[in-house]
Amino acid sequence: MRELADRTGFTSEQIEHLHRRFKQLSQDQLTIRKENFDSIPDLEFNPIRGKIVHAFFDKRNLRQESDGLADEINFEDFLTIMSYFRPIEMNMDEEQLDRFRKEKLKFLFHMYDSDHDGKITLQEYRNVVEELLSGNPHLEKESARSIADGAMMEAASICVGQMGPDQVYEGITFEDFLKMWQGIDIETKMHVRFLNVDTIAHCY
Amino acid sequence: MSSSVFAMKMKLPCNHCLFSFHLYHKLPSIVPESCLLILVGLLLGGIIFGAEEKSPPVMNSDVFFLYLLPPIVLDAGYFMPTRLFFENFGTIFWYAVVGTLWNAIGIGISLYGICQISAFGLTDITLLQNLLFGSLISAVDPVAVLAVFENIHVNEQLYILVFGESLLNDAITVVLYNLFKSFCQMRTIKVIDIFAGIANFFIVGIGGVLIGILLGFVAAFTTRFTHKIRVIEPLFVFLYSYLSYITAEMFHLSGIMAITACAMTMNKYVEENVSQKSYTTIKYFMKMLSSVSETLIFIFMGVSTVGKNHEWNWAFVSFTLLFCLIWRALGVFVLTQIINVFRTIPLTFKDQFIIAYGGLRGAICFSLVFLLPPAVFPRKKLFITAVIVVIFFTVFIQGITIRPLVEFLDVKRSNKKQPAVSEEIYNRFFDHVKTGIEDVCGHWGHNFWRDKFKKFDNKYLRRLLIRENQPKSSIVSLYKKLEIKHAIEMAESGMISKVPSSVSLSDYHEGKIKPLSPAEMENMREILTKNLYQIRHRTMSYNRHSLAADAGEKQAKEILIRRRHSLRESLRKTNSLSRERPAAANTKRFLSLPKNTKLPEKLRVRNKTSSRVGDSSDSELDAATTVLNLRPRAGKILRDQRLRPQRPLPEFRVEWKNEVDGSQDGRGEQQEPSTLPQPSIGFRQPLLTRPRFGTLSREDLTADHGPARPMPPPRLVRQASQGDRTVGNKPWTY
Repeated sequence: MRELADRTGFTSEQIEHLHRRFKQLSQDQLTIRKENFDSIPDLEFNPIRGKIVHAFFDKRNLRQESDGLADEINFEDFLTIMSYFRPIEMNMDEEQLDRFRKEKLKFLFHMYDSDHDGKITLQEYRNVVEELLSGNPHLEKESARSIADGAMMEAASICVGQMGPDQVYEGITFEDFLKMWQGIDIETKMHVRFLNVDTIAHCY
Repeated sequence: MSSSVFAMKMKLPCNHCLFSFHLYHKLPSIVPESCLLILVGLLLGGIIFGAEEKSPPVMNSDVFFLYLLPPIVLDAGYFMPTRLFFENFGTIFWYAVVGTLWNAIGIGISLYGICQISAFGLTDITLLQNLLFGSLISAVDPVAVLAVFENIHVNEQLYILVFGESLLNDAITVVLYNLFKSFCQMRTIKVIDIFAGIANFFIVGIGGVLIGILLGFVAAFTTRFTHKIRVIEPLFVFLYSYLSYITAEMFHLSGIMAITACAMTMNKYVEENVSQKSYTTIKYFMKMLSSVSETLIFIFMGVSTVGKNHEWNWAFVSFTLLFCLIWRALGVFVLTQIINVFRTIPLTFKDQFIIAYGGLRGAICFSLVFLLPPAVFPRKKLFITAVIVVIFFTVFIQGITIRPLVEFLDVKRSNKKQPAVSEEIYNRFFDHVKTGIEDVCGHWGHNFWRDKFKKFDNKYLRRLLIRENQPKSSIVSLYKKLEIKHAIEMAESGMISKVPSSVSLSDYHEGKIKPLSPAEMENMREILTKNLYQIRHRTMSYNRHSLAADAGEKQAKEILIRRRHSLRESLRKTNSLSRERPAAANTKRFLSLPKNTKLPEKLRVRNKTSSRVGDSSDSELDAATTVLNLRPRAGKILRDQRLRPQRPLPEFRVEWKNEVDGSQDGRGEQQEPSTLPQPSIGFRQPLLTRPRFGTLSREDLTADHGPARPMPPPRLVRQASQGDRTVGNKPWTY
């Protein structure tokens, strides 16, 4: 328990809370599979549900060396994923903050980059936008596509700036991604209050 | 005679002052406007006093509360960034309620302690009177806060904390003031009265908010049906909000909270129902009213200061000032320590300092002190003097020094960036991620409630209150806005010769991106930021003067736009038919918008499925609102104009040629019928007849939903020779 706490940065209280939740999700098994996420009712309405669930099983997020998807995750992995959403602490220094921020952004990056090649290509971006807008039945695919394209262009101009007419922009790499989020305080926004985890929300 | 002289004296210097004040740009950065206005008021007061040997007309509290204050609060509430406000609501509420209580009681009791010292000659002021005084002087004033914070641009979080507090503490102030005033007039006070007072607070606050929300809904509902009578839409907004204020005041509830709640509710729904013009009218009129009110308030304060209703007592006045500052600082500090436990983003010392320093007093306490019944308060003049000193101190000293302090402390400033679709996408994505994780955790966080509210909103409220209710996506609306902006700007600014028009998004096979020339991107960005003409901009503009910039240039250019449009329109009509033939002849076909006549049907079909953006006074314009319809919309704009073409044809040809030259070579040849200039040249991409969308084979065109789409799916990309040119993907649309 202690080493879990140290590694992930949670307090023991929080770990207990999350453990309870884990047990609920896994129905008292030792590991969770993708199917277990289906039991969360509210998650159904989330347009990017697929990506979120996927993120839990993404080996890159689990800090494992390999690539690809895990089939099941245990509690430790669960905690690892949750640790990305820890709020910042007052006593963090610059370097820690920076690392923290990078980790969080990397998590987000992996959600965009579904084929694990290290960059967000146009197709992947389009995919994301389509999913985001999938809740809106009146929107045609082309709109979503053009939006994605436009955003990609923006990204290209931010990241690469001056490009010659024949240059091709491969995709958003992680550094570019970092650049785009530069103005935004991701470390303060990307957090969940773990202490208030109640097992009120039941899974059926 | 003297009154007319007075009026004249008032008006001219005021106008001159304001005018010159803004001409001399440096001044507002050093001295907040409120200071100057008070000075002007003082001057005027002095003149009048000197001329007539009696006190100048004092600002009537009725006038203040009924006429001058509501517009300011309305303006603030309407443009309040709601999301940020609700995210910080707990903190704001905490500061407003507990903070004001703390201040009021603290100041009251400590002043009472001072009064007990017989050396100061204040022993006749009772505890209750002191408490009352404390309650009216502890209220942070929204007018003053707005006036000062406007120019210093601290980050939104900080701003919303101070400003939100100043709005919400009205409820407490009202309750405390009335409570203590009635206590002062009562013989005995029982414990039950104190509890009644506490209960009263809840009634006052919540009642005010409920009235505001109710009337906001009524207003939204009314505007749902006003599409036939656009002209009076702005009237409803103002009427209902004022009604909410008056109603709340009538029931002795908090009028400020009512009008704030009403404004926030209206903002959400009314904006979608009213036409573009109405929206603009509302925005400008609101800003104008609030500017005028603010000016008058400060001037009156200055005028009222001069006169005979003062009693100076060194001890009382200086200790009041001292206690105000001390208790404010203490209060903020202590409260923050407590609230930081509950916040995920704790407030740093810098934040706390600015919050404490930003607790400015203003016209509300000024008016409240004038409202004190002199029979019960024999030392009323003393109170007035003390209040004036405190106000002057906060407005002048704190107002002037806050800017250098902010810079010195390196407080995070707001970065006003141009809205970008990619940011919006990221934000949305991020929200969903957070919500998802919270769901997984089983945590009912902010996001959870916000989601729930949104669902409720979508299911019931929006259906009821909004006329053409389409599920709204902020990404899509932002994107549309920017696209239309862009298109109009393209039309008006004409042909930007360096446009490499062919730049389009990747050959989708390879998934690569061919970017626009960056210079052009820059150009576009600038253009986009400037052009606010027809676009409804959901600005978080709590800056009183932020509107000035957008207004001017666009209006002037409008006529130019329309003329050019009409010219193009007429050209296009003549040319469209003749274009068809060469198009058919070539192996490479054009994607053209064949007949104008087809458009209306398409547009009407679209009308049902797209959400409204744009001016519905030109009702057909409503139709073309989706991204896909950008071209038809352009056509619509053209079609609606009745002006005759004024420009000679060759100009277009030249312009067009420029574009062609700028584009990739391959296209050039297709434009052989370039003797028939494309009328819609101005539009870089949503061009009505341009082959920019690559070349499609006829079959593909018909197979598709019709050539009216500016963006046929990439599968129709053809020419291998121009591998980098794709169909339909607009690279430079945002």
